[in-house]
Order: sequence, then structure tokens, then C-alpha cells
Amino acid sequence: MNLRRLIIRRSTEIFFIFFVILTILFLLFRLAPGDPVSRMVDPSMTTEEAEHLINQLGLDRPLWSQYLFYVKNFFTGTLGNSFHYGEPVAQIIGQRLPNTILLFTTSIIISCIIGIYFGKIAAWNKGKKLDVWMTIGALVLHTLFLPWAALIIIWIFGYKLGWFPLNGMLTPEIWINPETGIFARFLDVLHHMFLPLFTLCIIHFGSYLLIMRSGMLETLQEDYILTAKAKGLSAIEIRNRHAAPNASLPVVTSVGLSLAFSVNGGALTEIVFSWPGLGRELIFAVSNNDYPLALGSFLFISIVVLVANLIIDILYAYLDPRIKY
Amino acid sequence: MAPENSQNAYQMEGLSRNWALFIRNPIGKTGVILLIIFGLMAVGSFLPPQIDTMYHPMTGVDPLIANSSPPSWKHWLGTDYMGRDLFSQLLTGARIAFIVGITSAFISIVFGTIIGMLAGYGGKILDSVLMRLADMIMVMPTLLVVLLLSSLLGQLNIWAIVLLIALFRWPGVARVIRSQTLSLKERPFIDLAKIAGASHFRIIFRHIAPNVLPMALLFMTFRVTSAIIIEAVLAFLGFGDPSTVSWGMMLQWVWKTGHMFQAPYWLIPPGVCISLITLSFYMIGRAMEEILDPRLRKEGKVD
Repeated sequence: MNLRRLIIRRSTEIFFIFFVILTILFLLFRLAPGDPVSRMVDPSMTTEEAEHLINQLGLDRPLWSQYLFYVKNFFTGTLGNSFHYGEPVAQIIGQRLPNTILLFTTSIIISCIIGIYFGKIAAWNKGKKLDVWMTIGALVLHTLFLPWAALIIIWIFGYKLGWFPLNGMLTPEIWINPETGIFARFLDVLHHMFLPLFTLCIIHFGSYLLIMRSGMLETLQEDYILTAKAKGLSAIEIRNRHAAPNASLPVVTSVGLSLAFSVNGGALTEIVFSWPGLGRELIFAVSNNDYPLALGSFLFISIVVLVANLIIDILYAYLDPRIKY
Repeated sequence: MAPENSQNAYQMEGLSRNWALFIRNPIGKTGVILLIIFGLMAVGSFLPPQIDTMYHPMTGVDPLIANSSPPSWKHWLGTDYMGRDLFSQLLTGARIAFIVGITSAFISIVFGTIIGMLAGYGGKILDSVLMRLADMIMVMPTLLVVLLLSSLLGQLNIWAIVLLIALFRWPGVARVIRSQTLSLKERPFIDLAKIAGASHFRIIFRHIAPNVLPMALLFMTFRVTSAIIIEAVLAFLGFGDPSTVSWGMMLQWVWKTGHMFQAPYWLIPPGVCISLITLSFYMIGRAMEEILDPRLRKEGKVD
């Protein structure tokens, strides 16, 4: 039961890493210059409310006791109230998290599939014009400055052509009207999601194409490819069934390694497209000095990264049976 | 003296051979040409304010123009919402990008190389502590961490931003340098140095450091790109140094003042510059990579 052992080991590791992040953030928030109480208590609260909150968060206790309170509060979902919205942080995160996960996972899956597909074709046509242009294109896309690309895409497809909404996730009229069916609502979200998804995909797919291409070139040198040729298999079959599956393993690894990078990109896309996700909430919270919300969204983004890492490790072990843990 | 001289001559010869290989590579050549153009822009950024004070990127305002205006003979790229010259801002942006990118990359490479050598040479507990720390920092999204810190520390100036970026960008370098050190320290010349009575300090900095330098230099080109991008993003989101003009800042102004759809002459140039300068460092890095170690082509590519 190799896989089960891997999952258990990686989960404990991830739990430990998360605990360290939790602790570092606690220290940062308490030890940074300025008054820690004013960071967690909304300045517009009445004295009574403030006292209740200070008591709840344990801000009037010694540091070690505050830390225990903080950990306990985190695991019971008490993250304080957002200064800006006046609602519990846990509730805001609960609303935003699914939107982030939706955009994030779809964009990674789609850009992976496209990257693998085109990388395969580029490697197969190594040295020809097609390959050269694909490689150059991938390099350029990979180094595009994301927020700018997003602005240009909005300008062209949202403003000039008017094909897609400029920002947001929903059209309020459709969602308020009780008569619209589930399918119309689904289409509405898809319509809003297209441009942010497109932006993230063109940024990420370039690097996956390059990795797939070099992985494929290496695989094509292997003996079993020669064997397949000797058996008289068709070129398409060798490419798609013998070389590509093995060559796509490094792509999976690189998805894991670049997760933190993808999260940055996700947050930027969310803010430019006003996509109501956690990354946008974090950036807003930081601009508004809304410390409880900033802390909460950061912790949950870290959880997303860590869990995604775990999933990729499991996926990798599943795809490559040679891996032993 | 004599062996020293011949060694220098040997190194010079190696360097010029590598340069010839590098410049023959179309990717490397394009990267260098792009970089030279940006270098000229950075140097040229001192000129416009000398010609007329209204061309000062930050404080210079054209007295005849009150709002954003399209390109003209007087203002080659037009003006921003306050009547400041966009071309002059674009040139200054190149200077800021170089300052941020190179200093920040340099600091993170020095950190990463020293930590990597210590971990690889020290082994055991030192190694596992340093590498766990590196793992931890690697899973954190740098941009969001720097954002969070900037909210705690208040308004950051450009040097604080440079230092923060450097502090979070060393782990990747440290890992590669560590694995190089691991293989280097088994080589006979390290044993000879030990027998000759060299201290650990001397072995690390005199015998190991010169051998890991090419790899550190390669990583520096990749770090320059990520530092430039992070600074640009911070400025774009409004967390940049308010006393400087950077490309990210220009994009923030066009976005936040609502000129995005009306002023393509303002929206397009800064983004093209950020993308191209990243591309040029990236291309130089890839060309260097192929010379240093063709097997490495997959690594260092992630960020």
C-alpha cells in the first residue's frame, strides 16, 4: 500500500508546514511595529464590542496564551471580523474560496492540456518552422506581464469587440430573477469566466509547452521508441501512445513547483477582472489595512497551495508507478 | 606569479570561447540586443529633464496640457493625466527596472549561494534545517507575502522592496548550489586543501565558491526577471515607492485614473517594456544554460 503511506506522510508534512506558517504569521502580526490590538479590533467599534472581541481573541493575555488562543480560534473558525465589511472573516472566506478554486483549477487543467498537446507537436517537428515559431511564441507568452495582458485582453474583447463582460462573475438581473433556470445561470458564469480563464491559460500554457517539448525530445531518444518503430507502428501511435504519456510527467512536476507562482497570477487576474475570489480579497484587505481579513485570506490561500501540492504528489505517484516513497 | 598569469590567460580564453558560443545562439543574441536597447533607455533617461523641466518624469508638467493627450512632436508618447511626459517616464522606468532587478537578484544570489554552500558542505543538521527552511519559503507565494508584509510595515521605499524580494527568492538558488557543493566536496582537491590545513571557511570561499559561480550567475538572470516582475506588480497594485516612476506605476496610473480604454498610447508601452525586459533576461539565461549544462534545460524554468 505504497500510495496510502505516501498520502499519510505528505499530509503530516503539510500539516506541519502549515503550523509553521500559522506561527510565523502570529509572530509577525504581534511583533511588527505598532499596536497589535488595533490590528484586530475595528476602530469603529463601541468600547463594549471591542472588549468582547479582545476577550474572545485573548488579546489581553500574555503572549504564549495569546498564541494558544490564536491556534484554537483558527481551528474553530473564529477569525475575527472584517473591518471593511463588518462581517465575520470566516463567512467572507467561505463565500470567496469556491470562486478562487473554480478559476484556479480550471485554468491549470486547461493550460496543462493545451501545453502538453502543443509541446508534443513542437517536439515531433523539431527544427522545422512550426517548432521554431511555437517555441518563440511560448517564450513570449511565458514572459508576458500578467496584469498588463489582462488589461489588453479586457480592452480588446470586452471593450472594443464587446463579446464578453468587462468584469465581475454574475449578471445581477439574471440571478435576482427567480425564473431563470440553472442552465442560464451556468452560462452566465461561464460568460464572465471566459476572459480571466483565457488570460491565465495563455500565461501558463507557454511554460508547460516548453517543458513538454524538452521532455518529449528526451523520451524520443529512448530505446523503446526505437523498438516501437521497428515493430512498424504508425508515427501517430508512437507519438501519442508511447512517447507522450511518459514525456508529460515533468509537466505534472512543474505544475507542483510553480503552484505558488500560479497563485500570484490568480490573485492578479482576480483583481483586474473583479473576480470575487480570495486573492482579490487579500489584496483589497491589504490596501484597506483590514488586518483580520488579510490574515484569514492569506492562511486560506496557503491551505489551497499546500493541498494542491498534495494532490499533485498523489497524481504523480499514480501516473508514474516507478516512483517509490 | 607565472602560474597565476597562465591561469588567467586560460580563463580568458575559456570566457571568449563561451561568449562566441553564446552569441551564435539566436536566443542569446536576441536577448543581448534587447538588453542593450533597454540599457540605452536607462542611460537616456537622464536627458529629457535636462532639455526642459517640463520633461521631468515625476514633477514636470506641460503648462499647456491639463489632461492626458495623445502623441505629438512635443511629447512623443503623449502625456499622462497630469500632463507629464510619458516618454520620459518610460525611460526612467528602464532605469528603475535595472536597479531593482540587478540589486535584488544580486542579494538573493549571494544569500542563496552562501546558504547552499553551507548546507552542502556542513551536511547533517545544518543541511536539513536550511533545506526545510528553503522548502517552506518555496511554497509561499512571494508576491502575496510581500504584500502582507508591506501592510504591516507601512509604506515601503524602493530599497525595502528590493530587500524583501531578495529575502524570498534565495531558496531555488540554494538548492542547486547545495547539490553542486555535495558533489564538489567529494573531489580530491578538497581533500588536498584539508590536508594542507585549510580552514572550513577557506575551503568554502576559496575552493568551492569559484566552482559554483557559473551556476550562481545563471540563476541571477532568472532572478532579475522575477524581481522586476514583483516590483512591477507591487507598483501596479499601488504598493510601490511613491517617489519613483516605474513601469508598474505607469500601468497603475492608466488603470486607476480610468484612462484604460481611451489612452492606448499610455496603456501599451509600459507593458511591452516589462514583458520585453523579462524576455531578454530570460533568453540570456536560457542561452547560458545551454552552454553551462545542456541537461539542465528543464530546471530553473519554473519561475
